[in-house]
Amino acid sequence: MSGPAETAGEPMTAEKSETVGKPVAAGPAAGRRGALVRAVTAHRGRLAVAALLAVACYLPFQLVPFHVFQLTMVLVYAVALLGLNLLVGHAGQISLGHGAFFAVGAYGTAIMIDRWDAPHLATLPVAAAAAFALGLAFGLPAVRLHGLYLALVTLAIAVFLVPLLKRFESVTGGSMGLTLGKPAPPAWTGLAEDQWLYFLALAVAVVTFLLARGLLRSRVGRALHAVRDDEAAAEVMGVRLSFHKTLAFAWSAMFAGAAGSVYTWVIGFVSPDSFSVTLSITLLAGIVVGGLGSLAGPLLGGLFVMFVPSISQDVNEAAPGVVFGLLIIAVMYVAPAGLAGLAARLARSTMRILRKG
Amino acid sequence: MSGDFLTVTDLHAGYGDARVLHGVDLAVGRGEICAILGPNGAGKTTLLRALSGMVRVRGGVRLDGTALAGRPPDALARLGVAHVPEGRGTFTPLTVEENLRLGAFTRRDRDGIEADLERVCAYFPVLRARLGQVAGSLSGGEQQMLAIGRALMLRPRLLLLDEPSLGLAPLVTAELFRIVRTVNEQERTTVVVVEQNAHLALDVAHRAHVLESGRIVLSGSAARLRADEQVARSYLGYRV
Repeated sequence: MSGPAETAGEPMTAEKSETVGKPVAAGPAAGRRGALVRAVTAHRGRLAVAALLAVACYLPFQLVPFHVFQLTMVLVYAVALLGLNLLVGHAGQISLGHGAFFAVGAYGTAIMIDRWDAPHLATLPVAAAAAFALGLAFGLPAVRLHGLYLALVTLAIAVFLVPLLKRFESVTGGSMGLTLGKPAPPAWTGLAEDQWLYFLALAVAVVTFLLARGLLRSRVGRALHAVRDDEAAAEVMGVRLSFHKTLAFAWSAMFAGAAGSVYTWVIGFVSPDSFSVTLSITLLAGIVVGGLGSLAGPLLGGLFVMFVPSISQDVNEAAPGVVFGLLIIAVMYVAPAGLAGLAARLARSTMRILRKG
Repeated sequence: MSGDFLTVTDLHAGYGDARVLHGVDLAVGRGEICAILGPNGAGKTTLLRALSGMVRVRGGVRLDGTALAGRPPDALARLGVAHVPEGRGTFTPLTVEENLRLGAFTRRDRDGIEADLERVCAYFPVLRARLGQVAGSLSGGEQQMLAIGRALMLRPRLLLLDEPSLGLAPLVTAELFRIVRTVNEQERTTVVVVEQNAHLALDVAHRAHVLESGRIVLSGSAARLRADEQVARSYLGYRV
């Protein structure tokens, strides 16, 4: 109720206080400033995205290759988390096995390059499609199972993946994994390899974010939200639960698969032990910490997944897991809505201060 | 009015081993408001859930000649059955407008949906003022209006209302029933309303059925049931 009154009232007080300070010239200047603040407020979402993209394009030219690599991995995780967010944050399902879909994308790309010498970029749609199909198959249990039972079934997917990858040695390379070449930057770009990989990951991230946003704003997105909030009510509204739950798994797996594919481009190596159960659990922790159901959540979660384990290694070399766990607890305590929720809160108070001048 | 728009014959339903309905027969005419009255645990809510496919049933349900029994809820929604569930089923994190648009989920006619959004807002001016607001922030009465408005977005042929008065102030309830009557008169929507508050329900309904222990024990025009003091005392729990 106080919202509209606040926004209407505050710019005026700002103008008034400045008029008092500089009686002659302040009038129009304060008006201009008020208009600017209003414009910034109205378009803050778009401005934030534009600023973020500008920084994202500028950074790789300023950082050392290792840091560029780290940022590339943040983008890879962000794409995977985007998929997980769709499933957990928007459709209200749970998956403790998303590492498996990530692995399917990674191995799919690796095998295509290893066996048929496929061009790197061409492997992504195929890997994503394979993950989509697998997600569709594993979405079927979600039609009947809820909560913990669903968690258990999805956990099983992650558990049996590693032995499976080791068993089919002729295709997957077994425990040794597969080593592959990385995509070479075209000469016209003038980019180094790490920069080229970074921009590839950035392009995939931007496209998948746009895709997810479009999906969520469509009829499908509304159906997913309805299923998350009240299954029975959604059903009497004509939402086919089985169809939309299965589809949510498939979309979600597709994003994870796309991320896995980029992972293989960037690392140039896959082995079963990179995709253990820990990866699935880290991904789930990442999206919960990043912020469920928000579009910024996957990016913040990606930063968390990438940097927090190495930071905890620095804090205490003996038990990085303990520090990682404690940090998760700390974030959830300070920001129950995840880092995205915290960021939104900070942005709101910044806007308030800005408006007051 | 002919009694053949909705016909229910020998309907049995229940949850697992607990049988709740033991052979319900009833008929509702086209454009009628039909009230289902009865004490707690009589099976009123189960009857509505049976009509919208939310519980498994045995027996016959026909809407304008189409067999409904055994179809899942989403298929029934596509056939024009809108159910306002007990407890309203508000999608609390979504906005009022998103809730309303979900009501039209089965429809593809963009222009018709926009027109109906306008029409629902005309019935419930409170909702127009709150379109962009999160539905969870509405009061109980407003949420009930939202639930009914959302059901109207389906352009229902059959509107099922489960205890719209539950937990609401008498004045709000009276307003709700007045709007239901208006919708019924203007759009000829057939309504089946389950209600504990017999007095209120009999004021808007054309016909009423009293349900007890899973069977219809009394049927008649609303006026007759209201006038019959014996009925009132033995089944409806109040004096006229």
